[in-house]
Amino acid sequence: MTRRELLGLFAGAALGPAAQPPAAPVAIARVAGYDAGLEDAMARLFDQLGGLGRLVKSKTVTIKLNLTGSPALRFEGRPLGATHYVHPRVVGAVVRAMGQAGARRIRLVESCWASGGPMEEFLLDSGWPVRALANAAPGVEFENTNNRGRWRRYARLKVGPGAWIYPAYDLNVAYEETDVFVSLAKLKNHETCGVTLSLKNCFGITPASVYGDDAGRHEPNENPTKGRADVFHFGKRPPSRSAPQELDPASSRDPGYRVPRITAELVAARPVHLAVIDGIQTVTGGEGPWIRGLKFVEPGLLIAGLNPVCTDAVAMAVMGYDPQASRGVPPFRNCDNTLKLAEALGVGTTDLRRIEVRGLAIEQARFPFPT
Amino acid sequence: MLLALLVAAASAWVPARWSSTDPQSLELLAGTPVNCLLLERVSRDFAAAAAARDIAVLRLVRPGEDPAGAVREAREAGVSGLVLEGAFAEDAVAPFRSAARQANWTVVELPPRARLRWNADASILGTYEGLWPGIRALEGDAARAAPTGGPWIETNTGFLRYVRASTDAAVWIAIKPPSGAPLSVQRYLHAIADAAIAGARWVVSLDPDFDRRLHARDPKALAAWARIAAHLKFYEDHAEWRQWKPAGRLALIQDESSGALLSGGILDMIAVKHAPVRPVPKARLSAEALQGARLAVNVDPSALTDSDKEILRSFTRGGGTLLSGPPDWKFPPPQEGRITLEDKDVERLNDIWREVNSLVGRRNLGARLFNVSGMVSNLLVSPDGKQILLHLANYTDYPAENITVHVAASCSGARLLTPEEPPRPLAPYPIEEGVAVEIERIATSSALLLDCKP
Repeated sequence: MTRRELLGLFAGAALGPAAQPPAAPVAIARVAGYDAGLEDAMARLFDQLGGLGRLVKSKTVTIKLNLTGSPALRFEGRPLGATHYVHPRVVGAVVRAMGQAGARRIRLVESCWASGGPMEEFLLDSGWPVRALANAAPGVEFENTNNRGRWRRYARLKVGPGAWIYPAYDLNVAYEETDVFVSLAKLKNHETCGVTLSLKNCFGITPASVYGDDAGRHEPNENPTKGRADVFHFGKRPPSRSAPQELDPASSRDPGYRVPRITAELVAARPVHLAVIDGIQTVTGGEGPWIRGLKFVEPGLLIAGLNPVCTDAVAMAVMGYDPQASRGVPPFRNCDNTLKLAEALGVGTTDLRRIEVRGLAIEQARFPFPT
Repeated sequence: MLLALLVAAASAWVPARWSSTDPQSLELLAGTPVNCLLLERVSRDFAAAAAARDIAVLRLVRPGEDPAGAVREAREAGVSGLVLEGAFAEDAVAPFRSAARQANWTVVELPPRARLRWNADASILGTYEGLWPGIRALEGDAARAAPTGGPWIETNTGFLRYVRASTDAAVWIAIKPPSGAPLSVQRYLHAIADAAIAGARWVVSLDPDFDRRLHARDPKALAAWARIAAHLKFYEDHAEWRQWKPAGRLALIQDESSGALLSGGILDMIAVKHAPVRPVPKARLSAEALQGARLAVNVDPSALTDSDKEILRSFTRGGGTLLSGPPDWKFPPPQEGRITLEDKDVERLNDIWREVNSLVGRRNLGARLFNVSGMVSNLLVSPDGKQILLHLANYTDYPAENITVHVAASCSGARLLTPEEPPRPLAPYPIEEGVAVEIERIATSSALLLDCKP
């Protein structure tokens, strides 16, 4: 099966009433910190999932990093990777493992906050060891997907049947020109969506050039300097006219309705083959330092799986939440459940009874987040 | 007077406010570079003991004080000079100047910023007005509601760099610690660095609690004082850096009427972006002052003389890019008690700031710095052009880690010099625009010194 056939299969896979969304195993490991033992734990995690080789050997792998907000904003002066960004050592461990498993090209991507500049510079501003990451495996590349970047066009990825907000999204071509797509996320809460895990991380694949508050009215603005709240969260303005427009402009403008749906649509349009969640050190109470009530915590966990909904369902259970919770129940106090929405689009199951957990059991890994 | 003559030249004075007239208190200065004390009251014994240690004693005088009485006390004590701190009326200053001439005293005037003594034939130019350096605390939810921006730095560096570029005198900023809770030693180190990286000296001033504990020889206070002394010494050990010229390819032409005496203005805005900028006072605008610049920002085009305009025409004919502020744009005149921009001025500044930001973009104008939010930098070059110095001051309460500097020059060696630490050699590696250097950690302040081809 070719990559494009696989994309097409997923894109058209909205479930009929009788079909069951797919289930895939999830592995959990305890890791004391970001130094000793991290690479071994990561290797064990991937072995428990059947090994990386069959997934990445001779393939182009695109890894979406979770780098939320401006690198200038720190929580309690701590390194970004210890709080609300995925930690660079986790990224390094994943890249090295991918390289050892024979990946041909490893592309680290993120739509860098309010920037159309090179991703390497964003990472340097985040205090990341860019040279070390570039040398962690053969063929490592960096791409800021907040605009068109080095490509001559945008890739249009369709959501398929079941879409609520947009029928398709215009994205940086890096998300299309890849064989394997990895969501490398942080274990944390999210003010709008309840949790930030591998699904919500994919909200950040959208370019602010098209969906940003300063996106061009007709054509993308290749030098974006703002976030995406006006277009995505509040629906105050449309994306650039060059991109697919809203299916129903009269639909709810509530961010708790829109953002979970947009996230689910994005994961349906751009399927995730591997989800990795950094829960070694993180914050509770929100996605970044601009949210009040944040608290630094050290769950000491890594979670990985071959299906992002299943992986997030297990991660939520580890956080002490019900992955099938309805709106109004923590952590989905003011929003719909992104996992359930993604499940409805056929991405994966939220039913823990159908998900095989390997390594540490959920009960052993439990680290309650605030309710 | 003979004793007074023994002390260091006034331009080399390292000043501190001093609350004690007990000669034994001078023991606290042993091993520190502090060699000039500012006192409200002085005694002959104290001044003599200070002079024996090569320490100058200056009598502080404030507006409203009886000139005859103050001069008499100073004369009887045998001080090295007077410090006139505050907004003195011009005729109120005259008796002090006259007395100083007769006694061969140095007079240091510390007026409000708006009344700096530019034309005075003095070896020291200073002010008592300034911001207490640090990160401005955010108030309310609105300031933190979005994942944008960075910490707002309260700094005097923009003002001090302008003053430094405008005068050959030593520059003092005599700010006092904010009242309220006692400060951590880190906050004093910020004050030292904020002045020093701009080529100025902070007049050391301790909060009442710290001062009391220090003079009572409290061990914690002594330890904090030792750290303050070490940081002062670091910059005095490299006093030659004060003579090094601002480097970089962006020149900012401004004067007092275009906001140069205010903090938080265009110079600070550019500096916070860590684009190396050379302040060029309009009075010192010349072809030489613009040599090596590729971009120039002229804040107030309406203030240019014909000669200034010709200099800028030559600059643009030579390939330089000139950005001018809006023609109808005027800053309010400097006023006593006002040292920052008002909100409406900030709004107007945004007009020119957007242009500057777009002009600077990602260009390397001498150095580009990464992971430096919460820090201020200043890029200098040695007189022979063989060394580049990047001052770095961290205003946060946490160490800054994993900093990367891209220098637009060909450099073979680099050292990180840090107060209280041994020099650390660094390995520059080539990049497209010159060399890159990685710095592991900066607690409060450091200086990156690079050996480069002129």
